[in-house]
Amino acid sequence: MLSIDERWDLIDKISKKTVKFGKYKHTLKDAVGELTVKPLTGIPVAVAVLYGFWSVFSSFAGFCTDGFLVKIFDGYWLPWLQNIFPGGLHNWLYNLMVDAGHIENGVLVPSDNCFEAFGVLTSGLFVPFGVVLPAVFIFYLMMTLLEDIGYLPRLAVLIDTVLHKIGLHGYAIVPTILGFGCNVPAVTATRILETKKQRFMMMTLLGIFIPCGAQLGIMEEVIPDTMGFVILYLLFGYFVFGFILNKIIPGKSPEILIDIPPYQRPTIHNVRKKVWIRVSGFLKVAVPFVILGCLIVGVMYITGFMDWLANALSPLLTNWFGVPKETVGPLVAAFMRKDLAVAQLSAIEMTKYQMITSVVLVSIYFPCLATFIMILKEGGKELLGSLAALVASVFIFGGLIHLIWILLGVA
Amino acid sequence: MKILLMGHPNVGKSVFFNRLTGSNVIESNYPGTTVDYTKGYMVLENRDIEVIDVPGTFSLEPKDKAEEVAVKMLEEEKDAIVVCVIDASKIERGLYLTLEIIEKGYPVIIALNMWDVAKDKNIEIDVKNLEKILEVPVIPTVAISGEGIKEVVSRIKEAKPVKIKNIIKNVGG
Amino acid sequence: MDKKLSEMRYGEEGVVKSIEGDLRNKVAGMGIRVGKKIKMITKQPIKGPVVVLVDEYRTSLGLGIADKIIIEVRK
Ligand SMILES: Nc1nc2c(ncn2[C@@H]2O[C@H](COP(=O)(O)OP(=O)(O)OP(=O)(O)O)[C@@H](O)[C@H]2O)c(=O)[nH]1
Ligand SMILES: [Mg+2]
Repeated sequence: MLSIDERWDLIDKISKKTVKFGKYKHTLKDAVGELTVKPLTGIPVAVAVLYGFWSVFSSFAGFCTDGFLVKIFDGYWLPWLQNIFPGGLHNWLYNLMVDAGHIENGVLVPSDNCFEAFGVLTSGLFVPFGVVLPAVFIFYLMMTLLEDIGYLPRLAVLIDTVLHKIGLHGYAIVPTILGFGCNVPAVTATRILETKKQRFMMMTLLGIFIPCGAQLGIMEEVIPDTMGFVILYLLFGYFVFGFILNKIIPGKSPEILIDIPPYQRPTIHNVRKKVWIRVSGFLKVAVPFVILGCLIVGVMYITGFMDWLANALSPLLTNWFGVPKETVGPLVAAFMRKDLAVAQLSAIEMTKYQMITSVVLVSIYFPCLATFIMILKEGGKELLGSLAALVASVFIFGGLIHLIWILLGVA
Repeated sequence: MKILLMGHPNVGKSVFFNRLTGSNVIESNYPGTTVDYTKGYMVLENRDIEVIDVPGTFSLEPKDKAEEVAVKMLEEEKDAIVVCVIDASKIERGLYLTLEIIEKGYPVIIALNMWDVAKDKNIEIDVKNLEKILEVPVIPTVAISGEGIKEVVSRIKEAKPVKIKNIIKNVGG
Repeated sequence: MDKKLSEMRYGEEGVVKSIEGDLRNKVAGMGIRVGKKIKMITKQPIKGPVVVLVDEYRTSLGLGIADKIIIEVRK
């Protein structure tokens, strides 16, 4: 074995005999490459890029869902099913598969939209295909473009200072951004971080505070005006918890050390392929879990278990978090899928502020099942112990939000 | 026989892998896209041969978990043939990892990928001479267009372990 | 004149003179080594990382890492 210096000496000799470095002319690509990493120009560009990302995401998702899919699902699919499915509002199978109905002035009436119907064939299909699919599609399309252009490492450099303060470093932006698409691959991507401490922190923060594309899509649909608040709370939690975790978890936090590749023109072939891989991956994971979630929640309602649970947890929910006890259903659904949980929340009568709190709650109180399994696989058993501590912290965070509302005089 | 694709992050290993095996591994323009290995198969002289796409690593001293996976893979597959994928526009540091792998005694074949980028940067590489010095096949490739991939496949059987002493001797004083 | 890499100014160029102990291994594979020409591209504010040019490619290093690399500045 050679030593480092011997090896480099040898390479220098080889290179002298075989490589000629011609005069290199800097191109426009290089100039743009540098401008987007220098703070004075790079930070405004980063803000613009993220804002642009956001606008395209919300307008496209809204366009597809409100423009077409809601009309199809609520105008044709739901009434058609309500017509042809045997049984009726007083049949449990009908309740489970099509429409659970809801009480209005003491009578059970049929639902008029797929958010409220709660059935496997209605909400269970509308949520993944009607709302989430367009959102996930546009998110992945844009994320793929950013990846292939080569922007992510530059974003990492620009944000390094901030992330370094919480014991991570700029490259943690890669799993974070992947996580806004889906937390599952993001958990695996934490492998690019150097130490156990950093990976552990990143997985925890991802699982708890980073909403996935599916959740963003559904929030955009049901709480477009207040989702900004939700995201603000989540990002706030990300940094505050990061800060605390950094202080209490032993281990090193090495600094950033990465290559910044030159910009590249994305190829249609690769973009198409990656979007397809990811969207089909989403469908494979999401659809079964959404349907399973619908079934479980439906069965819990039918058997009366949900009411019992709601009453049992009522003091905690209403006094501590300040949300209606009916949110217990969505909280159960959130074990399976966050998108389903948010969709179910939208059918519950509550104030804007209660809605914000409850959406934040379903986001943070547990990673979705698929993510949880992945975290166990990647992080091993150490994570289980700390999970208990985290659940406790979540209660504090939820209570804190309630407190903020009380202080603002809105709750 | 197994084939390992090793190299720095972001040099095009996954593109290479997809071309060789027809798989659909994610390729992106940032280091650290691949963080776990993927196995695939290609046909060489009527035999199915396992090809493994490995996370990128800068050296055999891993600094993060993804690099650990790569180094562990290399250690586990003692009798694999290693295709070293080098970014031709950063050839010197690419050779660093390649030499490390050669020193460990693996049969090696070198793909000088991103040949198009090197050309744009006016970097001229004397491939013949490099082959003579390193005593292993060296093939310029452009993985995204497929250029050179066939030649790599056809010359895989020429890969062989080389003594580092020979390389030092070949390059002269 | 010798300087820490972290102290170089925009556009300054130099040659790596020494790298502190255990860091050598870590940056060796990335092509940063004694005798290599290096150019400062940019530094992020508030103790952020630096971006340098080595052999016409760009690498970003945290300030703490850049502190451990000594450069003989040319220009
Ligand atoms: N110009 C050019 N670009 C290439 C070539 N080969 C690959 N690329 C691009 O280089 C980038 C990296 O390719 P990947 O295959 O993901 O790299 P990798 O080596 O697998 O990277 P890691 O998984 O991070 O280790 C992609 O954007 C490719 O499109 C090539 O020959 N020429
Ligand atoms: Mg790869």
